[in-house]
Amino acid sequence: MKLNKIILSFVSALVILFSTSVASFAKVVGDKIILGAAISLTGKYSSNGVHTQNGYNMAVDRINSMGGVKVGGKTYKFDIIYYDDESNPKRAAQLAERLISQDGVEFMLGPYSSGLTKAIAPVTEKYGVPMVEANGASRSLFTKGYKYLFAVLAPANLYLDVAIETAVELNGGKPVRIAQAFEQDAFSQDVRLGILDAAERTGSKIIIDDKLPKELNDMAATLVKVKQMKPDVLVVSGHTKGALTAIRQIAEMKVDVPMLAMTHCDAAKLSKQHGKNSQYALCASQWHKSLTYKDDFFKDGMTYAADFEKEFGYDPPYQSAESSAALLVFKDAFERANSFDQKKVRDALAATNMQTFYGNIKFAPGGQNVDKPMVLFQVMCDASGSCENKVVAPLKWASAKLIHPIPKWSER
Amino acid sequence: MNKNFVLYAAILIFGLAAPFLFPAFKVQLSILCVLIVLATTWNIQGGEMGYNSFGNILFYGLGMYLCASVQVGMFFPLAEWTESGGEKTFVHTPTQFFQGMAVGLVVAAVVPTIVAGLIGYSILGLRGHYFAICTLGLGVAAGEISGGIEIIGAGQGFTTPPFPNVGSLEARGEFFYFLSFFTLVLTFIAVRSIYSTRFKLILNAIRDNEDKAEAMGIETMKYKIIGWMISAFFCGLAGGIMGGLVGYIDSTDVAFDGREMGVFMVLMAILGGKGTLWGPIIGATIFHIFKEGFWTFFLGWQYVALGVLIVVIVIYFPEGIMGWLREKYPERFGEVVDEKDRKAQVELK
Repeated sequence: MKLNKIILSFVSALVILFSTSVASFAKVVGDKIILGAAISLTGKYSSNGVHTQNGYNMAVDRINSMGGVKVGGKTYKFDIIYYDDESNPKRAAQLAERLISQDGVEFMLGPYSSGLTKAIAPVTEKYGVPMVEANGASRSLFTKGYKYLFAVLAPANLYLDVAIETAVELNGGKPVRIAQAFEQDAFSQDVRLGILDAAERTGSKIIIDDKLPKELNDMAATLVKVKQMKPDVLVVSGHTKGALTAIRQIAEMKVDVPMLAMTHCDAAKLSKQHGKNSQYALCASQWHKSLTYKDDFFKDGMTYAADFEKEFGYDPPYQSAESSAALLVFKDAFERANSFDQKKVRDALAATNMQTFYGNIKFAPGGQNVDKPMVLFQVMCDASGSCENKVVAPLKWASAKLIHPIPKWSER
Repeated sequence: MNKNFVLYAAILIFGLAAPFLFPAFKVQLSILCVLIVLATTWNIQGGEMGYNSFGNILFYGLGMYLCASVQVGMFFPLAEWTESGGEKTFVHTPTQFFQGMAVGLVVAAVVPTIVAGLIGYSILGLRGHYFAICTLGLGVAAGEISGGIEIIGAGQGFTTPPFPNVGSLEARGEFFYFLSFFTLVLTFIAVRSIYSTRFKLILNAIRDNEDKAEAMGIETMKYKIIGWMISAFFCGLAGGIMGGLVGYIDSTDVAFDGREMGVFMVLMAILGGKGTLWGPIIGATIFHIFKEGFWTFFLGWQYVALGVLIVVIVIYFPEGIMGWLREKYPERFGEVVDEKDRKAQVELK
């Protein structure tokens, strides 16, 4: 009986605890528009999570200091509530629920990575919360009929198919032999689908098709096969860790391949971390600072890059640029909607048609940005050993000529 | 039984009223129910039987994938649903959703039970650390294997059917809360009735001295397998519910999430006190509240805070909260302690 008392008092303590912890914010408090975001501050996506957060913060500061958002004749400032999703989809979905139902957030910014966006989208959709996301590129996000999801980036399947087409072109229009290795996650698997499509289109043959585990630290087995089978193109995608692992092991094992196409080179700071070893790597990017897009807030890519470097101490990867662009999109939509009604803001978002320093933004009915092509850059090093990413495709923005084929390790 | 009636009624009423008292916390409360189910069933092995299993996550993940696959597969082609490039959009009607969920949950409970029987037959001969390590491997292997199976989405993950539009925004939260609460009640009743039979004594005998138990004519293997199958049944059920609740299944991060769920279920049982009926329940509740609190107040440091909590548990409550209470107030647990005896013990210390 005494035991029951203990348990009963425990239950009542629980009741008190729960009822006192209900704190509620509203979406617009005073002159603040509060946005919610679950970001990977820890876990396997933490470096890209931080790039994303820096991008958001940079844009918030810039917009606020340049007059804020004008709605209904009043000026508002942006503010963001962050949570750490620990790179875990389960947590991300819970946090989205928490941001909306407990913190009362009515507008969301996206997390980092397709997988986490996939976990959050059903929640924002259920509550009719408009979400502008900058880091979920998986094609399947845009085929689910989501109405409140807007992505400022091009879908993942478009990341590297240009590389395959370029390889075919350089091969005199003849099909090439492709080796590919992709991490087991939503984004990389979508990049893979893009390559499959491109291979089919060009009649190219895939001779190695490996799946790599998450938290990619070793791909030696794939590289051994590459050494044996000598493909024309090697495609690797596995977020930041994948890019670092690939370059490290390719250099260690002296793997010769005429073309190496990857993702996340700039997020991984390849040219800084691996210097000359990363030379000639061809990288898909949503954005590059040398592109000539313009807006009123960040002027252009070069200015953005300089300001970003001043504030955070490193060259902005495209993950940061697209995240900053997400806030520009929100600002534009709020002002056009001239209201904080979620439906009206949603409709304004759907009608977005603007240029930012990051690129043109116009959403397809599925929510993906259809007005901004991908760019390819190549890591190029000068004699002193300092390396830089130079855009090589599309030709409109190319600042350097693609070096192909990659010189053999014995000749470097 | 009558003495406890008030307590049970109070908890039941609290459980039924909870989503209306704290409407904003429905998801957390549902997860709490799932955590309690996992901790309570882990306790059957870890606490009562003395077999520290890290493999129960296998049944949880299996249940999750099975429930979602059945729910989709009953009405639509599963391969097209999970194919990421698929341009088609499938929408469940409310009837389809609930029918699918019902059948899915049955499959999610039954199949892991059978799997537990088969695997148990082959590995429950291992003891101590060997068993723990072997089961640890099971969860990891399942995660990697399922990450390669195309029909369930492979590395792309599996988006479970979205909750149908039945008019109210609160419906989804309430549905999943009551589903998980019902599962919790079912688990509690089942475990409680098992613990009042000879079966529990046999499990304890295995824990205390397996060889002796065998020598006394108990077919230990049989009971070990049955115990594991019971756990698997409820873990599978919990997994199925969790899949629907999260809405997105990832092979290693959501389904076969040994690093988090797999470890948490052990921790919660130890925190509350293994080998007791209420221990895992109290442990899971406290753990969940702490975890949510750390998340809010120590953003970025939540794992450090959680680590400190674990260290404190291990140092100050090695027997868990229930164990600690039992040592302090043995009379309240129905143990008769001779006053002289107690004094003698205190002096000895």
